[in-house]
Amino acid sequence: MEFSVRKNERSSGKKHFSAAVIGGGPAGLTAAVYLGRSKVGTVVFEKVIPGGYVVNVEKIENYPGFVEGISGEELGKLYARHAERFGAEIRAEEVTKLTLNEVPFRIETSHGSYTSDSLILATGTSNKKLGIPGEKEFTHKGISFCATCDAPFFEGEDVVVVGAGNSGVQESLYISRFAKHITIIEFLDHSTAEPILIDRLNENEKIKLLTSHSVVSFKGEKFLSNVDIKDIKSGELKNLKVKGVFIYAGEIPNNDLVKDTIKLDEKGFIVTDDRLRASVKGIFAAGDVRNTPLRQVATAIGDGAIAGHEVYKFLEESK
Amino acid sequence: MGLISEDDREYLKTEFNRNLKRAVKLLYFRKDKDESEYSEQTKELLEEVVALSDNLSLALKDCDDADETKSEGLDLCPSIKVKSERSGFINFYGIPAGHEFASFVEAINDMGSDNLSLPDDVVEGLREINKPVDIKVFITHGCPYCAGAVRNAHQFSLVNEKIKGSMVDANYFEELSMKHQVSSVPHIVINDKIDFVGNMPPKIFLDKIKEALK
Repeated sequence: MEFSVRKNERSSGKKHFSAAVIGGGPAGLTAAVYLGRSKVGTVVFEKVIPGGYVVNVEKIENYPGFVEGISGEELGKLYARHAERFGAEIRAEEVTKLTLNEVPFRIETSHGSYTSDSLILATGTSNKKLGIPGEKEFTHKGISFCATCDAPFFEGEDVVVVGAGNSGVQESLYISRFAKHITIIEFLDHSTAEPILIDRLNENEKIKLLTSHSVVSFKGEKFLSNVDIKDIKSGELKNLKVKGVFIYAGEIPNNDLVKDTIKLDEKGFIVTDDRLRASVKGIFAAGDVRNTPLRQVATAIGDGAIAGHEVYKFLEESK
Repeated sequence: MGLISEDDREYLKTEFNRNLKRAVKLLYFRKDKDESEYSEQTKELLEEVVALSDNLSLALKDCDDADETKSEGLDLCPSIKVKSERSGFINFYGIPAGHEFASFVEAINDMGSDNLSLPDDVVEGLREINKPVDIKVFITHGCPYCAGAVRNAHQFSLVNEKIKGSMVDANYFEELSMKHQVSSVPHIVINDKIDFVGNMPPKIFLDKIKEALK
């Protein structure tokens, strides 16, 4: 049993900041470290937990410097303390609205209103929903998007994981500690996970990978009990009796706050230049929410450093 | 080495020193002679926590003492009640391990200070409540979203003494979890009447309370 000590919220009561970072994941907190060292008054708004989505990852093994890997929870805690050490204020508030057509920018949150001379959007991504019959009805009634939260409820049960990318395979390995058997359903004819993860998947007797199959619908009465799947090559329909489904079928950008005001690419990711400037002056984007070819902790850290540095330069030039 | 790492102990000492303006008492209710690993680990954790500040103390209580559990408003065992001179019902049914340790630390800081991080309109809405509200937040220790929901429930109780806020370890209280059909967390149950899943913003959480009181 572990005991996680998070950075506790400490509010200065300030309502105006030179820089506001929306999202306290690796990119946002790294930006806050750089901004803090540049003596820029910075607030980070994080609605869930410092570290962002990364805290869901049991072990991160490809972030250099941690030879044996490090838990996402631990890494998130370190990032938060690091940002705080250099003066950033981390607030456990959900940003609900941004007004970007006036400077300073206005920020409405679940707890109040703020203004800022610059913004870094580091809101990350969310798991993509499948949009098929039964998904909405059985979400939280057998369908989950968080293995670290809900896997213990499926002790000794049969479970389906949708998606055989890095997240799907990594989470399947975690769920296998609890579930009796896991079937991973993958639309493609192969897994896109890192080869080292595929090796572990192949070594795990509880997990079976079913490629070239799609999920058609979820069924049950009060709770999920069946999943209809389709063999894409033959067209054959099959039915799996399961108690739980975990969905890791790709990511969608968390762009709700800016989807009508900032330029996005065709998939909804924020378009930036190589200095991570978004389409509105004074606004920058970093990490998974922007149009980047790779979404990893290591790349988010690099983004955060660039964004923090560029905001500092922007504020200096604006004086 | 204890349950809390050396690094975290130092961090918590500073936090408690900064936050605790008054004495905070942890009442640990468990069955007499319960020496299960779960119970012993809870006791060990609480002993380690209270050793971090002179403002903290621990009292071991017996769940079979019906008068005391009733006067404390408890209906499950084991339980950790966080108390001080500040009014509020801040309670943990089960061990606050994993991510939930964060909400436990926040609960101590809140009870030992005048902290309140709720929007003004929510505080006003909470003050208007004049009927008993029992909020149970079912959690798992691996859930990063749950501590926020537990903190909301606890902070609500600081505003209005008619509100009880409790964390419930969903895996330990398996039967109760099954009764409420918990399969995703945080799963919040208000007055055994309204259920919802997810760490909702305080305003929506308040709306759910109002719905339960209709």
